[in-house]
Amino acid sequence: MKSAKEKRPAGQKQYYRRKKVCKFCVERIDAINYKDVKLLSQFVPERAKIMPRRISGVCSHHQRQLNDAIKKARNIALLPFATE
Amino acid sequence: MRHYEIMFIVNPNAAEEEIDKINTQVEGIVTSGGGTVDKVEKMGKRRLAYEVDRHREGYYVLFVITANGDIVKECERRLRVMDAVIKYITVRTDDEVRRLDKMKNYRQKRAARRGSGERAPAPTQSVEEAMQ
Repeated sequence: MKSAKEKRPAGQKQYYRRKKVCKFCVERIDAINYKDVKLLSQFVPERAKIMPRRISGVCSHHQRQLNDAIKKARNIALLPFATE
Repeated sequence: MRHYEIMFIVNPNAAEEEIDKINTQVEGIVTSGGGTVDKVEKMGKRRLAYEVDRHREGYYVLFVITANGDIVKECERRLRVMDAVIKYITVRTDDEVRRLDKMKNYRQKRAARRGSGERAPAPTQSVEEAMQ
């Protein structure tokens, strides 16, 4: 017997979510430097928190490097810890 | 001997000569300890992301040096004592440099194997561009 799950009900469109890709893998950015404010600020939204991976789509390898870079940049006042 | 980057922020009201004086002092510490200064970059005045000692702006200076831990320790001690320096950070970069070299080699080898059709690696951004 065929289960009902296999057949999609007619008229109901499947929802496609665009696949997120890691910016650093795609653009082949090897070094995530703490001095590169322009790049890092793309990953710190208004509240100056680090953007989570599930939103930005960055792979775990690069997210780790990104975290380190952002934290270094915060230490030398290139990026804020929090917005006032 | 390891590669380090020392970045510090000088009081924005300090005169140009004062900054030069600090730079020569740091250079002196590094060279007298047997290290070498690979690059000195004055990155200029920049808005700070947060207030530091009631300053909203700061003059950034970057040193790229090859030295050992004692020299770095001494540099940090001296920077801490200087009144004009409001913040500093030292970053060890030798691991990173090694990793990047490895990556580059790997990419080149792969590109060579595949022929000339491979995409060239993206040009590296200079610090000045990145700071803007």
